[in-house]
Amino acid sequence: MTNKAGFIRTSITVLCAILFILPLWWVTVSALRPENDIFRYLSPLSWGTLLPLNFTLEHVVELWSGPFRQAIMNSIIVTSVTIVFGLAICSMAAFALAVIEFRGRTLVFIVMVVSFLIPFDAIAVPLYQTLRNMNLQNTYVGLVLPGIGNGLAVFLLRQFFLGIPKELREAAMIDGMGWFGVFWRIYLPLSVPALISASLILFVFQWQAYLWPLLIAPAPEYKGAAVAIAQFSSQYDVNYSLIFAAALFISLIPMVILTVFQQGFSASVASTGSKE
Amino acid sequence: MMQRNKLLVAMAFLAPAVIAVIMLRLWPAVSAVHESLIAPGATSYSLENYEYIFTDPVFLQSLRVTLIFIVVVAPLQIAIAVALALLVNAAIPFIGLWRAIILLPVAIPQSVSAVVWGVAFRPDGPVNALLVAAGLDPQRFLTSPDQAMGSIIVIVSWIGVGYWMTFILAGLQDIPKSLYEAVRIDGANRFQQFWYVTLPQLRRPLTFVLVANTVANFLVFAPVQILTSGGPQGSTNLIMNEIYTRAFVSGDRSSALAATVVLVAAVLAVVLVQFRMMRSAEDK
Amino acid sequence: MTFPKLGQGVSLAVLAMTLPLLGAGQVVAQQTVVNFLAEAADFVYAPVIEAFEAANPDIDVRYQQVPFEDLNAAIESRVGQGDSSIDVFAVDTPRVPAFASRGYLPDEEANRERIVAAVPNPVDQEQVSWQGKIHSFPMWTSTQLLFYNRDLLAKAGIAEPTPSSPDDRLTWEELLDLAKKAQEGGAEWGFTFQQVDRYYQLQALFESAGAGPGLTGEGLLTPDLTNEGWVKVATWYRDLYEAGISPRGVSPNQTNDLFINGQAAFFYGGPWTFGRFEEAEGLNYGVTYVPYFEGGKPVTPTGSWALSVNPHAANAEAAYKFVEFATLTAEGAYKTTESNPLPPVNAEAYEKWRAPGAAPAPQVGPALGLITPEVQDTAGGRPPPPGDVGLGTGVKRGVFDPPDGPGRQAAPAAAPGPPASQLARIR
Repeated sequence: MTNKAGFIRTSITVLCAILFILPLWWVTVSALRPENDIFRYLSPLSWGTLLPLNFTLEHVVELWSGPFRQAIMNSIIVTSVTIVFGLAICSMAAFALAVIEFRGRTLVFIVMVVSFLIPFDAIAVPLYQTLRNMNLQNTYVGLVLPGIGNGLAVFLLRQFFLGIPKELREAAMIDGMGWFGVFWRIYLPLSVPALISASLILFVFQWQAYLWPLLIAPAPEYKGAAVAIAQFSSQYDVNYSLIFAAALFISLIPMVILTVFQQGFSASVASTGSKE
Repeated sequence: MMQRNKLLVAMAFLAPAVIAVIMLRLWPAVSAVHESLIAPGATSYSLENYEYIFTDPVFLQSLRVTLIFIVVVAPLQIAIAVALALLVNAAIPFIGLWRAIILLPVAIPQSVSAVVWGVAFRPDGPVNALLVAAGLDPQRFLTSPDQAMGSIIVIVSWIGVGYWMTFILAGLQDIPKSLYEAVRIDGANRFQQFWYVTLPQLRRPLTFVLVANTVANFLVFAPVQILTSGGPQGSTNLIMNEIYTRAFVSGDRSSALAATVVLVAAVLAVVLVQFRMMRSAEDK
Repeated sequence: MTFPKLGQGVSLAVLAMTLPLLGAGQVVAQQTVVNFLAEAADFVYAPVIEAFEAANPDIDVRYQQVPFEDLNAAIESRVGQGDSSIDVFAVDTPRVPAFASRGYLPDEEANRERIVAAVPNPVDQEQVSWQGKIHSFPMWTSTQLLFYNRDLLAKAGIAEPTPSSPDDRLTWEELLDLAKKAQEGGAEWGFTFQQVDRYYQLQALFESAGAGPGLTGEGLLTPDLTNEGWVKVATWYRDLYEAGISPRGVSPNQTNDLFINGQAAFFYGGPWTFGRFEEAEGLNYGVTYVPYFEGGKPVTPTGSWALSVNPHAANAEAAYKFVEFATLTAEGAYKTTESNPLPPVNAEAYEKWRAPGAAPAPQVGPALGLITPEVQDTAGGRPPPPGDVGLGTGVKRGVFDPPDGPGRQAAPAAAPGPPASQLARIR
């Protein structure tokens, strides 16, 4: 790639990134300015539209000294646990569906696919009853459970596993490796990008989760960030300053994680290299 | 004997996920279907709820709007996602940061994204300010029956495109360089490399993205609920919003569930067709 | 504050998950727990909960907040499915008929005498009634005021409205003209509703024009949206937007800022906004009675929250104690408004509320002279039957948002409003 082509590519990429981040930039600016300034500079466009002219940290401080800290912690806990357990069971299921040839495989796969077609909101109420009967309301377990059996993640991993040549497995099994060994020593290490993508799916599901946590864990100690942020809107007044300050934190954390993983993306694939 | 062993092993691998999916997704869904077969105030099963929704012009319009939405949005978002993936599949300085930025909108609570874009599209908002500065007329966007859907499409795409891009990027990086070298030796140009190497190799990730994207688009809800409530004149009354309105605003739970069953059936049909399509592409 | 790494995070998480499980099933010695679900921020109910727990040390009231938009969903799901984990919940009074007809609100006729004694205003009683029976304990009420920007009016040469009595108020027609004049004088927008598109505010306009509740016939389940009154209001509403007096597309929560930033000359909103208006530097504003339609009568929106006990509550006795404290006793009712600028319906508590110096926000004080007659005399309840729920949506679709633009009445054949079929499903 010539320098000029590289330069053009970089410029376009940066431009796209800027376009994408504009709305979030506005949110950041709004969180860092007095409440009455938020809607003051919308039009005509001026410096004030994109720069926090009367900079203040009061809303950020107010937010962080309240129960929102706990809410973010809860979201992090629930999401991390979901990712760990979710990856484990979804990758195992995907392995079975992609690699082990058994009767009824297609049927199970269809069941998996159907499961993520069902809008979660539609089953939230009956699901709530089931978990409540198991006394799981206001627990972390109740919050995590619906997130770990993710048909979409299974689907993704299965697609990826299908692309790994059968010969690798056959060779290993001739050498005496069992199924679990094949899974653990061959398929998983080759699938780091897919595992990262699957983590992304699990992450988004839990980080954004709103109706479910509201139903199953409304107690203040268990509130997650997405629910907490909604509580800055009351019937009569919406505290945009706090909402945007909270949005700032809710975005910063994934931002950091995503950046780190994105770098990891290229690095890991560079090492797996050609699959021949 | 081998077959039996294999089955047992497969079951062992599948058990936790299948149990989770059945208990936490399918079983509640069965209960929802069950409720949809009972009309309000009745004790026996009937198809009354289904008759009701299929004769309700509001529901039918909602179905129409949703289907048109899917047909327009899916190719649009996937094309953009592929383009972006190709763009960022390079070792540019800070590439991790740029990719993360494009991906970030999906991790923001949808309520916040909706509010921010709602502000952007206000009659006195920044988008109109830009248009006016460029000498064009200010537009009505979310309050215009002709533009509201387009505005929603912009919002939903901003949220999701980075997400889809990530999966395609993973697929791109999985393509062995040797394949490209092979065709380059045969004199293929950039476009031909894309057509003969990249696209076929992307078939599996693309299948995933196509199906997942379609499902996600069928289920779009938050921006509609927050910004337009399905209006103006039902032009943005996507089906999830319609179901929500039925269930929680009109309090008509059983017809909402009937509508949900119809939705799932529709999505399943579309998805099966897509699987077929992608499979036959392989045989070529 | 550091975030634990993944490994630590997992062990932390496992620990965190098991701790609550250990705690579950162990009853704290001799304390009955009352779970209270409502929409307001914690600080609103904190004073009354504190006062109640002080008087009843064996009862522990646990407050759970659910955002307004989702409260109905939460109530439908939990109370509607027989969940006993909520004991007390707040009911938005427009929802009382719908919830009562579905059995979520037990009939409180046994307590009627005490409720009527504490809350003598029949409009307030009606707010929590269905089919003549009381189904909830009324707590707060609300009203609306007309705010105006003194500077913008002065610039346009408009005299400030200074009515000598509640009867001497502006008409909506007059307001429209004044709003136009204000715009000619430089205001960006002449007038805006606070809760744009919400039936709560607009219903009072329809009532004021004599349009009726929009429903008629047996059980009030037949739509009646094409009479003269409705046409009058719809036409007025249409003119408002077509003449560019009000902005389209500004969501209800952002309208306050239009007024604060000096962009709107007249503003129709609730007394809860005083706090923000006072904080706004450079905002020189005044308050007056809301307008009415010429030939009609003044009507103000009313109704707010009431408290109910879940018919499946785990601790009904304690729950009733709390609800009665918060609504029927003057002390409890007053406490519920200590951190909250809404007037209580409890008559004794109201007197205390409006006593000079006792007002929750100092700015509300001067406006009390306006609020009291509105709450007592002009308050207009929302339409009674369960059909009102479909009505709100139907009116929205047919009147505010019909094919030709806001306010344009569809032909009688295609009358707006909830179709008879939808109303027929209410059984």
